[in-house]
Amino acid sequence: MVSEPRSRVTQRVPTAPVDPKTTPVTFLGRAKLDLGSDKVAAVEDGARRLYRHRAEAVAEYPAMEEMRARARAGRMSALRNLDRLLARFADQVEATGGKVWWAGDAAEANAIVTRIAADAGAGLVAKSKSMVTEETELNHALEAAGIEVVETDLGEFIVQLGNDRPSHLIAPVLHTTRYDVARLFADRLGVAYTDVPEELNDIARTHLRRVFLSADVGVSGVNIGIADTGTVILVTNEGNGRFVTSAPRVHIAMMGMERLVETVDEAAAVLEVLARSGTGQRLSVYTTMLTGPRRPGDPDGPDELHVVILDNGRSRVLGSNVAEVLACIRCGACLNVCPVYRRVGGHSYGSVYGGPVGAVLTPALEGPEQWADLPYASTLCGACREVCPVGIDLPGLLLASRANTALRGGLEPGLRRAVRAYAAVAARPRAWGLALAAAGQTARLLPGKGWIESLPWYGSAWTDSRHLPRPAARSFRQRWKERRSGA
Amino acid sequence: MERERFLAAVAANVTAGVLPAPPPITTGPPSLPDVDLIETFCTRLGVIGGHAHRCAIGEAVRQILDLLGEHAATAVLAWDDLPVPRLASLLQESGVELLASSMPADRGERAAHLGGYLGLAAGLTGADAGLAESGSVVLSHGPGRPRLASLAPEVHIALLPASRIVRSLAHFLAADPVVVARTANLVVITGPSRTADIEQRLTIGVHGPRHIHVVVLDDA
Repeated sequence: MVSEPRSRVTQRVPTAPVDPKTTPVTFLGRAKLDLGSDKVAAVEDGARRLYRHRAEAVAEYPAMEEMRARARAGRMSALRNLDRLLARFADQVEATGGKVWWAGDAAEANAIVTRIAADAGAGLVAKSKSMVTEETELNHALEAAGIEVVETDLGEFIVQLGNDRPSHLIAPVLHTTRYDVARLFADRLGVAYTDVPEELNDIARTHLRRVFLSADVGVSGVNIGIADTGTVILVTNEGNGRFVTSAPRVHIAMMGMERLVETVDEAAAVLEVLARSGTGQRLSVYTTMLTGPRRPGDPDGPDELHVVILDNGRSRVLGSNVAEVLACIRCGACLNVCPVYRRVGGHSYGSVYGGPVGAVLTPALEGPEQWADLPYASTLCGACREVCPVGIDLPGLLLASRANTALRGGLEPGLRRAVRAYAAVAARPRAWGLALAAAGQTARLLPGKGWIESLPWYGSAWTDSRHLPRPAARSFRQRWKERRSGA
Repeated sequence: MERERFLAAVAANVTAGVLPAPPPITTGPPSLPDVDLIETFCTRLGVIGGHAHRCAIGEAVRQILDLLGEHAATAVLAWDDLPVPRLASLLQESGVELLASSMPADRGERAAHLGGYLGLAAGLTGADAGLAESGSVVLSHGPGRPRLASLAPEVHIALLPASRIVRSLAHFLAADPVVVARTANLVVITGPSRTADIEQRLTIGVHGPRHIHVVVLDDA
């Protein structure tokens, strides 16, 4: 994201970028913008492909279940001991010559990074792909301070050029076609139009190589921090994570405070499941383990390493009934498998974290008021839990999130009335039987067979965005009774 | 924010939340079926678009010269510390230019030095380990071992003694966890640089090398 409005360009980008100011405030509102569009078709296609790659990788690795259990154990125990581990991690980073900064919220984290960059005399910051700096909107802060920042992950570079937003944890431009990218590059980089992915790649390679080699400061996120050694692990396929930590004089790593594991052994377990679950690779191309800045005698690497540790709502989540969501390792597998994500795309979730994990994480981090409807963006089918490499009970957390909203009185009045009415009927067997019989009779009057696609009055609140299964003409209990009496 | 205040907020919440008990687990290397390590390494590296070349140590210079010729590379950014005796002088005698690798501390000189990496054709490195399961090489950086040698060039040639191939990343780290802390920068490289960001179509050579050749040295 960039602070400077680039409307002349964005108007020419076919997949209209999301403008936060005009974006609908509800999930349904946002989803309707994209429903059935080319953008969502591209998402569905890409998500299916990633899902298939994951399935193949998991099936061919005999130790998958063992390593999943170990990765899960490592992450859960890290969360249970997070205060102790953070202290140890920070001590170790400093013992190896790094500097640790503590940021309570996004504004503080951005201010810290901006100050370090300014002190380093940075005119240009090269940034590798990172979700946490998307969360804090770091680029806005740097640009406001007059520091140019360039995203160097190919997907994020495309997002930045188009003033767009990422729509997937690991594939930021899943919603974009190569024709979109072709027009964008021709417009913004002054190159001849080409829609051949290899040629587009070469254009970006040439452009970004100069950025890597002339940037004063490199900014990255952190995939895993190891408390025992003070090591920061970065996982990338393109090599941008390596460049921004090798060429510039200063490296700043921003880390969500929950990224830690305690031991190297636990980090190994996470690495063995991360790429397999995300892209279906056995390992991503580059797994970089950074322990402190360049040491005496090292021919290259940054002279300074700064690790900025961010809370921004995480400690509150840690003390809540959805604390488990902090174990997420950001592989994106739950997005790829989710029938809702596939239909609506990442932008519908309205925050940087989409899909099932985002539907839990966003309201937990930012408070449920603004995001009360996100936990309902799920069919609770449970596929996300099945594929999660650290076994997070996402359906359970989605239910807990719904309960949190309901208990705060956050349900909209119509829904509250409907749920009360349902509860009153469902708690009385006679009333329930009568209601079912009535529903069965009524269903006969509705046109068509199979799913009910539209209902009048209050019923339309459901059928506006969903289909309803047709109630059976005779209830299970009726049929059971008939069967027992031999009728 | 003060460290103490930050950690106090974490401590106040760390026992309050709902977290499932971690399952009982084992540590150390995971159980994987036995395989021929060298063969599996070479096959898996090939699958992800890399190239393995097995050769005797005495043939290493010839092999490297062949690869450099194949990619029309005459200048090489090389590690000082390579597992073939007298390699640097043998390459130089054959007309290969070896580039200086140490980054100047001065800001202006540093920028000029980095500019020299723009058209870099080839990098030559050693490897601390090979990982059979994923076809990866592990490189730990330090004096005489620049990080950019395996990143900036179009072609990366890594020299890997066959005896250093282990089963998987988890095996490598379990055998010697401290390896991580002994260097400021350890990298596990699994194939050539790649992306699938545009329409999920695999494209090779984004920022790192387009080609990776691992010369597996028969040191048995």
